[in-house]
Amino acid sequence: MTLSAVLAAALTATVVLLTGAGLGSSGSSSTPTPPRSTGSEASLNLALRQPASVSQTGTFRFGNATTSWWAPVANAAPAYASPSPRARVVARLTTRTPEGTSNIVRLLERVARGGKLWLKVSLPVLPNGTTGWVLRSDVGGYQRTTTRLVIDRGRLTATLYRGARSVYRAGIGIGQRRWPTPAGTFHVRNRLTKFASPAYGPVAFGLSARSAVLTDWPAGGFVGIHGTNRPDILPGRVSHGCIRLRNGDILRVARLLAPGDLVVVR
Amino acid sequence: MTNITDEKTLPFTLEEVDKDGAIAEAHETLERFADSRASFLKKAALATGGVIGGGAALGALASPAGAATSGDVAILNYALTLEYLEAAFYTEAGRMGVLNGPLAQFARVVGQHERAHVAALKKALGSAAVASPTFDFKGTTEDATAFRQTAQVLEDTGVMAYAGQAPRVASNAVLAAALAIHTVEARHASWIRHLNDAPPAPRAFDQPRSMEQVLAAVGRTGFITRAPQTTMPGGSPRFTG
Repeated sequence: MTLSAVLAAALTATVVLLTGAGLGSSGSSSTPTPPRSTGSEASLNLALRQPASVSQTGTFRFGNATTSWWAPVANAAPAYASPSPRARVVARLTTRTPEGTSNIVRLLERVARGGKLWLKVSLPVLPNGTTGWVLRSDVGGYQRTTTRLVIDRGRLTATLYRGARSVYRAGIGIGQRRWPTPAGTFHVRNRLTKFASPAYGPVAFGLSARSAVLTDWPAGGFVGIHGTNRPDILPGRVSHGCIRLRNGDILRVARLLAPGDLVVVR
Repeated sequence: MTNITDEKTLPFTLEEVDKDGAIAEAHETLERFADSRASFLKKAALATGGVIGGGAALGALASPAGAATSGDVAILNYALTLEYLEAAFYTEAGRMGVLNGPLAQFARVVGQHERAHVAALKKALGSAAVASPTFDFKGTTEDATAFRQTAQVLEDTGVMAYAGQAPRVASNAVLAAALAIHTVEARHASWIRHLNDAPPAPRAFDQPRSMEQVLAAVGRTGFITRAPQTTMPGGSPRFTG
C-alpha cells in the first residue's frame, strides 16, 4: 500500500468516526447557539441540530421537470394525510425495503406546521401515487438527482435522461395485459447484484411501483427493472409487471441509473 | 451602492493595483509547484484581475505531492472534509427556498467559495483525496434562523480549524494555500456575524483548535451521516419478475 493510500485510509477512518458520532447523537431538538455568542468555546459546542421551532410560510415544492429529490427513511414512522400528528395515518414507513436495503422516499413538498417541518413524500403503497406527510426528523439527508428513466409502454422503450438530454434508449419487455406494468411516477429504491436467479439477469433495480394485480406476490408485488434469460421475446408484453431489458442493456443502464433516480411509466 | 461581494464588480484591476509587479511576483512564487493547468488558471486570473486569492491557492495546491509531507497530506484531507461539509451546507441552503435578501446573497457567494476550496483541495490531493461523506443538515438549511446560526458556527469553526493546523504544516506552498483559504473563512465568519448582529471581530486573538477538538465537535452535530445502503450484492429480488 502506498503512503497516499495509507493516509487516505486514515482520513477515511476519521470520517467513519464522525459518521459514528453522528449516528450516535440524539435526534431530539436542541436550542441553537444564540447568534450573539462571541466566544470560541460557545462556537465549538456546535450545538446545532434540528431547529427548535420553524416559522416558514407557504409551501416549498421539491424539484422540477428535470430534477427530483429523495431521502432515506431514518425512523419507522407514520405518514399522515395532512401535516399534523392528529391527521389520518395513510401508511407506516419502514426503514428497510423487502430486500433489506435502506428504504428511501421521494420528496414532494415541505411546509412548517406547529413549529415543525413536514415533508410530503411518495409512498410505496397501493394505489400507486399515494402520498403522505412525515416529520422532517423522520428522514435523513437530502439527495438530488437529474437522472430519470422514461418507460413508454406503447412503444416498448426505455429512455434514460440526464436533465433534458436523452443519453440511452433500449427496447423492453413489460407486463402482460393481465399483469400490467403500472403507470405513474416512481423512484428506484435499490440496486441488487450477484443474486442467483438467471431470470432477473445480472442486475436488478427495485422500484416504488407496485402491481395492482399481483398483490399476493412475495413482499406485496413490487415492480422492478432487470435483465432476463429470455432475450428472444423482447421487446414485448411478456412479464408479470416488471420491466425487462436484455442483459447488455441492463448493464449499460446500471452504469447510468442509481437508487433515488426517477422512473416515469407512461 | 457597490456590490462588495461580487469580485467582477471590483472598481480596479490587478494591473492597476500591482504597478510594481509585487503581487504577480508573489503569485509566481506560490506557483512553483504548479502544473500547466494551474499556470493557465494563473494567467486567466491575472488577465481578468479577479480571483487573485483563488488563483494563488490553486497554484500553490496544484501538485503538492512532490512537496508536501505525509503530515501535510493528512492536514489537507482534514481541510477537505471540513470544506465538503461547508460546501454541501451552502449548496443545499441555496436550493431550499427559505433565504432572501442579504442572507441569500451570503449563501450564494460563500457557497461558491466553499465549492472552489473543495475543487482546489481535491486537485491538490489527487488520488489521496478522501471521498465526500454524506450529510444530513437536519432542517438547518430549511429555516432562515437555523441557517444563520449554523453558518456562523461553521465559519467560526473553520477559522479555528485552519489556525490550529498552520503551525503543523511543513510545506511553505501548502501553508500559503491554507492561509489563502483561512483568511477567506475569516471574512465569511465576519460577514455572517455582521448579518446576525454579532460582533464581526469579537477579540484581538483567535483561539486555534486542534484537529481532534474540531472533528469531535463536528461529529456531535450529526451532520455527517452514514450513506444509505441502497445497493446490495447478493440481495435476492422480491419483485414481480
